[in-house]
Parts: sequence; C-alpha cells; structure tokens
Amino acid sequence: MSPDLAIVVAAVALPFIAAALTPLFFRVLGEGTGFAGSLVALSSFGLLASQYGDEGTVALEWIPSLDIALRFHVDGWALLFALLACGIGTLIFTYSPAYMHGESGLVRFYAALLAFMGSIVGVALAADLIAIFLFWELTSLCSFVLIGHYTADDSSQYAARMAMLITVGGGLFLLVGLLLLSIVAGDVVGPASAFDLAAMLEQPDAMAAALRDRGLFLPVLGLLAIGAGTKSAQVPLHFWLPNAMAAPTPVSAFLHSATMVKVGVYFIGRIRPMLVGPEWLFLFATLGLTTMTVCAIMAVASTDIKELLAYSTASHLGLMVAGFGFTSVYGAETGVFHLLNHALFKAALFLVAGIVAHEAGTREIDKLGGLRRDLPVTAAITAVVALSMAGIPPFNGFYSKELLFEAAVEASHHHDIGLLGWLYPAVAVFGSIFTVLYSLKFLSLFFGDRPDDLGHVHRPPVTLLIPPAVLALLAAVVSVDPELAVDAIVQSGLEATAVDPHEMHVDIPTSYSPAVGMSAVTIGVGILAFPAYGRLHDGIRAIPRAVPPIGANWWYDTIVDGLSDEGRAFAEYVHNGLLRTYATWTLAATCTLALAGFVAAGAIAPTEFGLEVTLAIGLVLLVAVIGGLAVVVSESHIAGVLTLSILGFMVAIFYILASAPDLALTQLVVETLVLVIFLLVIEEIPESYEVEVGRSVRDAVLSVAVGATAFVTVLVTTSARPDGPTDIARYYAEQAVPEGGGTNIVNVTLVDFRGFDTLGELAVVALASISILTLIVMRGRGDGYETDARGDDATPGEESPADDSRSDEPTGTRSDSPASGGGDE
Amino acid sequence: MTTVIMRTTARAIVPIILVVSISLYFEGHNLPGGGFIGGVLTVTAFAIIYMAFGLDFLERGVLGRDVDPGKEHSRDRVVVAYRRLFAYGFAIAVASGLGPLLFGEPFLTQAFVMLEGVPVYDHLEVASALAFDFGVYCVVVGGLLTILSVVGAE
Repeated sequence: MSPDLAIVVAAVALPFIAAALTPLFFRVLGEGTGFAGSLVALSSFGLLASQYGDEGTVALEWIPSLDIALRFHVDGWALLFALLACGIGTLIFTYSPAYMHGESGLVRFYAALLAFMGSIVGVALAADLIAIFLFWELTSLCSFVLIGHYTADDSSQYAARMAMLITVGGGLFLLVGLLLLSIVAGDVVGPASAFDLAAMLEQPDAMAAALRDRGLFLPVLGLLAIGAGTKSAQVPLHFWLPNAMAAPTPVSAFLHSATMVKVGVYFIGRIRPMLVGPEWLFLFATLGLTTMTVCAIMAVASTDIKELLAYSTASHLGLMVAGFGFTSVYGAETGVFHLLNHALFKAALFLVAGIVAHEAGTREIDKLGGLRRDLPVTAAITAVVALSMAGIPPFNGFYSKELLFEAAVEASHHHDIGLLGWLYPAVAVFGSIFTVLYSLKFLSLFFGDRPDDLGHVHRPPVTLLIPPAVLALLAAVVSVDPELAVDAIVQSGLEATAVDPHEMHVDIPTSYSPAVGMSAVTIGVGILAFPAYGRLHDGIRAIPRAVPPIGANWWYDTIVDGLSDEGRAFAEYVHNGLLRTYATWTLAATCTLALAGFVAAGAIAPTEFGLEVTLAIGLVLLVAVIGGLAVVVSESHIAGVLTLSILGFMVAIFYILASAPDLALTQLVVETLVLVIFLLVIEEIPESYEVEVGRSVRDAVLSVAVGATAFVTVLVTTSARPDGPTDIARYYAEQAVPEGGGTNIVNVTLVDFRGFDTLGELAVVALASISILTLIVMRGRGDGYETDARGDDATPGEESPADDSRSDEPTGTRSDSPASGGGDE
Repeated sequence: MTTVIMRTTARAIVPIILVVSISLYFEGHNLPGGGFIGGVLTVTAFAIIYMAFGLDFLERGVLGRDVDPGKEHSRDRVVVAYRRLFAYGFAIAVASGLGPLLFGEPFLTQAFVMLEGVPVYDHLEVASALAFDFGVYCVVVGGLLTILSVVGAE
C-alpha cells in the first residue's frame, strides 16, 4: 500500500509549525512547554506509525520548473529512523522541563529542539536529493543553536562553532556528490526525475553501471562518504562530537543517540544498495572500524561521564558504518539492528548521566561512585543499558555486535581483500574490548564505595526517571526477545538497505562459530582487564599530552586559529578604511578575474575589426576621446567637470546616432544632474591635491586595465552575438503594442514585461537613500558621543552634532575621486 | 554660485524643466521618457534651485517656515517630505503590483484600456503601468532629493 501524502507531510511539518508557535506555548505553559513538545513528537510518531507497513513515494510540488519536489519515500528503513527520532523526541521533551528547570532561553531551546526533530524526520523520509540536502543542513543549523545553548559560555560557543563548521562543511561535499549523482541519474531514470533518489534506488545496478561508465563512481562515493562521515563523526573528523557535549544533557541525549549523528549512518544505509561493491567495503569497513577502535580508546581516557558517552557514541557510529561497509547481508543486519539498539541504550545512558549530574552536582568520573544507594531505580536502568552497550549476552547490544563479528569474518569470503580479511575481525575484537571496559566503568559509578567528598544526592523527580526507564524497558524487551524487534521493524529496514535480503534471525548462539569465539574473547579480556582500568586510562591520556599533533582537535585548533589570524592580517591590508584601497582591490580583482576567464575560455581570438562606423559617429567618438584626455590634463576642478560632461554628452549623442533615443535621453538627463551636483559641491573641494608619483602610476595602470577589460568584454560579447535581433528582442518588439499598449518598447519592457526587475531597482534606489541618510545622521551622532573619548579635536560641550561637523574642516571630502557620485543611480 | 545671473536664469528654466519632466513621465509609454527619466529631470530642477538660492530657500522662501539653524538638516520638514515621498512611491509601486492579484493575475501584471470620445483628446489610452511608473517617479525624486539635500548640507 502506498503512503498517504497528507499524513506524511503533516508528520514532517508538525514539528516545524510547533517550533514557530513555541513563544505562544511558552506564554501559556511556561516551563511546561516541554510537555507540549512531547505531545507534538507523539503526534508525529502516531502519524508515522499509521503508515507502518506501507511502502512508496509521495511528492509535493516544490520547484516544478527544475523537477525538484518535496518527495517523501516511506519504507521500513525510513520509518525506523523517523520513528526513533519521534519516539525518543517524545521522551526528551518529557525529560526536559525538570532538567531545564529555572534556566533562561527556554523558548529558543524548545523551538530549536522541535525544528531539529522535524529536520531529522525530514531527512529520514526525503527522497529528493535537494530536499535531503535541505533537511540535512537544517539539522546542522538547529544543532548549532542547541549545542551553543549556553550563549555566555565560551566552551559552548566553541563546540557549537566546531560542530557547525565540520558538519556544514561536510554537507557541502555531500551537495557536490548529490549533484554529480543527479547528473548521472538524468541519463538512467530520465531527466524528469534526476533528483529522485527513490527512482534511482529502484534501479541500483543501472545507476552503479552508469556511474562507473562516466568515471564518477569513486568521486561520488568519496564525496558522499565525506558528507556522511562528518555528520556521523567518523575519524578523523570525529572530534566535534565529544565537544558537542557542551549542550544541555537532553540535547546530548537526543543528538548523540537517535538523531543528527545517526543521519550519516542512515544515509549510508540508504544509498548502500546503489553503491555497494569492493570500493565500498574497503572505504566504509576501514573507516568504521578505525572510528570504532579509536573512539573506544578515547572513551576509556575520558574523565567526564558525558565525555565518555560521547566518545562511545562515536565508537558505536563507527560500528554501524563498518556494518554497512561489509557487503554481505550480515553487514546490513548489523547496521540496521545496531541503529535501533544503540538509540535505545545510548539515549537512556545520556539521560542517566543527566540525572547523575543534576542530582550529584558533578560529572567527574573520579568523584562519583556507589550511587546505587541514593539512586536505586537509576542504577537498575543503568545496569540494563550499560551491559547492553558492552555487548554482554543476553542484552540487545550483544546481538548486533555478534552480527558485526560475523560480517567481519565473512568479508574475506565475498571479496578478495587479502590480509584485511584477517585484520578486520581482529580490529573489531580489539575495539570491542575497550567498549566492554568503558561500559563497565560507567556501570561502576553505581557500585563500589561512595567517595567521601560526594555531597548529598537528591532523589530525581519522576519525569526525569520515566524516559530512561521506558528506554531501558524497551531495551530489555529486545534483549529477551530480539525476534520481536526483527519482525516489527528491523526486517523491513534490512530490505531497504541490503542487496540480497533474506529472512533475518537473531538468537543466543547455542553452538560454536567464529563470531561466538570472538565475543567470548572480547568479554573475557574486557572483564579481566577491568582492574587495570586506572593504569590504562592514565596511559592513554599521557599520549596526546606528549605528542599534541596526534589529537584531531589539535589540528582543528591550529588550522582554525591560523586561518583566523591570516584572515585578520589580510583584512587589515585590504580593508584599511580608505575608499581608494577598496576601489583598487575591487577593480583590480574584477579585471583580473574577467580577463583570466576570457583567456581560460579561449574567448579572446584575433577578431577582424570591421570599420562599420559612419562619419558622424566617428566624429562624435573622436570628440569624446578628446574630452576624456582633457579631463586628465585639466588644471582646475571646474575645467575637469566641464570636460567630463563633454565626454558624457558625446556618449549621449552617440546613442542618438545609434538609434537608442531612450538611452540617450537617460544619459543626457543623468549627465546634466551630475554636472549640476558637481557645481553644487565644487566649492567645498580643495583647489588641488598633492598626488605621489607612485600613486598616480598605480592609478594609471589600474585605469588602463579597467579600460582594457571593458573593451575586451564588449568585443567578446558582441562577436558572440547572433546576427540581427535575437528572439527575445523580437518578442518584445512585436508584443509591446498589443500586450503593453505602448509604442516605447523600452518603457513597456521596464514596466510591463520586466516590472519585477524595475521594482527591485526601486528598492535599490530607496535603500541607497536610506543608507546615505543613515550614514550621515549616524556620523553626526558619532561625533557627539565620541566627544568625550576623543577630546582633543572635537568641539567640547553640548553643541549640536550637525553644527560640529559643519564647522569642522571637511575631512570627509578628501577622497581622490569624487566622480562616481550620483551618476550611477 | 548664488549670483544674479544664476538666479535669473534659474527662475526662467526651473518651471520649464519641471513641465518637461512631467510631460516626459506622462508620454513615457509611447515616446522616449518614463518615470525614471522624468524623476531625474525633476531632481535636476531642484538641484538648480539649491544651487541658485541655497539649501534653506525651499524651507524659508517658498514654504515660509522658519529654519532652526542648530537642527540637523536631515530633520528639516522638506527632507522629511522627500523621505516620505520615496517611501510612498515604493508603496504605490508595490500596491500597483498587488492589484492584479485580486483578478487572479500574477503579481505586477499590467493592463490598459482605450477610452473613446473623451473631450479634447478624443481617444485616450489609460495604462495601469502609469500607476507603477508613478511609483518609480516618486522613488527616484524622493530618493535622489533626500541624498542631494542631506549630502549638500554637509
């Protein structure tokens, strides 16, 4: 059955509408706004759940002229991710009011959180490349607001900027990849659905073949992998994710467990059937396993409970990416199943971390311990989800990790990858050992002795406890009966991501297999090594301190700081407040780029100069040239202005001779106005300037360059013009009288055919007036206010600012070319 | 520049310029001209007044108001009127574009009617574009005069 357009669109739009209405909610509900959010999330969840079992694409017209639509594809994989986002969103909104009690900026917080959820649901369902990119970047923007929630806190701002820079930067790679994909798709599925991902995924083999034919397979794969990798915090761009823990805990729980960081994994799963192959295996299995191991080791080195969870998230994302990287069906099973399992246990763990931080007042691992006596329910919840994270049987994390081991072992059966066939399983086991270690460490916060300096630990309110309890309960249900989850959603998710899906079965293993052996080694070594946790922790922490460049964060800081410094230095050079500097750089850059463009395009070809000029035009242009020369050599300003007018009027006459009376009229009128304005201000301009030789040489060179560029541009563009009037010109000429009712084609074009352009130009004139007015009025005020600060040259006292500037020496008229004034309006 | 020759000339030419500019605006649809050119020409007339009689002339000599010498020129009532003029002009242009929406036509669609049997003119063409062009005229006059008078005062 195909899904219902109205319901799907409503599910995506609801959070955005609610986000816009948040200020209203807040006025009515105050801090209870979170519960309204729960209701919204629950409604979206319900709407999506009503589409359960459906599969198909629905589209809403968006930009029909470009064949871009708001296209939504509903299948098991999309529903799994969207339902997770809405479901966990509901719990997060329930959790937030108690956690964020008494904090400021709650309107922004809830609005951003709602928009964030909407964007995630949008990414999950979108089947149009442009829509995917739009929602993708929206998640980055919303997360920027959420991570930077504590606007006064520097570390929060730093983390928000970092997350933004990395994920939006990655998004740009994704955009290029998507555009390349659409170019190829235009040939395979037809130009009308060039952006339709759902149509491409219906013919994955044809798409892959077409990509290979064009030689675009590797570029597309690489670009999409960078996009997905940055979003899902893969090594070496994983470091934004641990920093993102600067966000309030509900955000971390949402962002790190169910939503944004999984968008990359989700997308990898989505395009998997199309691009899967040996390159895919090599790229994603290596990337994922490296991330998994590196981040698991970093998690062991963490000192803060949220940092530990953040690194562990990155590590588990690596696990999912590696799962999808393996080309066998086990790989897809790993990815889909672990996405579900991880969301359940990691969201609960973050919420638990929030409770601990909220009630115990610290997040330092060293200062916490023995919390089970104070927080018994929380301890029970933690036991379920932490053991699940560790992958201890029979908890749910075990099943998906077991699938990873199987996929790693199977990898060498499907493709000839040589030594990697041994390396992949070995690294998977090695990384998993650290997973067991840090999971046990997190669990140990609730056991053992209570540190003496840990103060009184409050009981958490019920609304803080229910959300993690619900998640733990779900995790427990999946643990006891994994087939339930498989039947409900994982199987249908598998069918969308695997090339050769079959009936999926997971159970506690009863006989020996390589994967069982690997699990046994992982758990055994993990538990045996746990007593040495402290030494491992110190050892790992010592490495980046000894060799800073080993940390990715170090590279980020170095590069960003370096770029900022360079940028500042460059800005001081180019941006020094003198009009002539701006003019020089702008003109020089424009000329260079334009000429370089012509050269690169091979447009400058030896052109024949046909002298089609009549005697009259020749004479007029000659006078104009003489006028131009006279401007340069004129001694006084008055002579200069008058001779400049000769030039302008000659151009007007040229227009008349070239049968453009309207243009000529405009030129005449504007020229007159400019002349009058010049005469008005000429008394204020100093008699003459002292101009250095170097500067006049520079100006001369620049003028020649600008002239040459203009000349070449006209030459190139006119030589490319077809003979006679173009279609557009003919259309306007023919339609002016019947359609516009005017015989003046220029005017009819301006007001009838291209009225919107004219309106835009009006806005420009209006804006120019307003900005000049503002500049002058504000300058006057600035003088008044700065009187105290500057002291020495400003007139002291309460004299009016305007008088002040009038009596002052006209410092503002020092610019060396007052020519460009009103003429260009 | 406030010489006797200048003033005498200005008295003679300013009305002529204003009449020409208005006729340019009205006949723009069929002959060279239009709101923009008419507007710029009107501004020229005002610039000549400024040049010949000084910036306060309009305020004091024509409108008979007192000018507070300490006040910022941008607060003068004439300048405020210029500012209003281009704001209203922009509003007229936008409103003339919104009109067609009532008839189910796209934004800024223009139409025209021929009126037959009008006294003196016999037949007269009325184009809705004239309203839009009037907006253009107002924006150009208001905007340029604002700039001119404020910058001129500096």
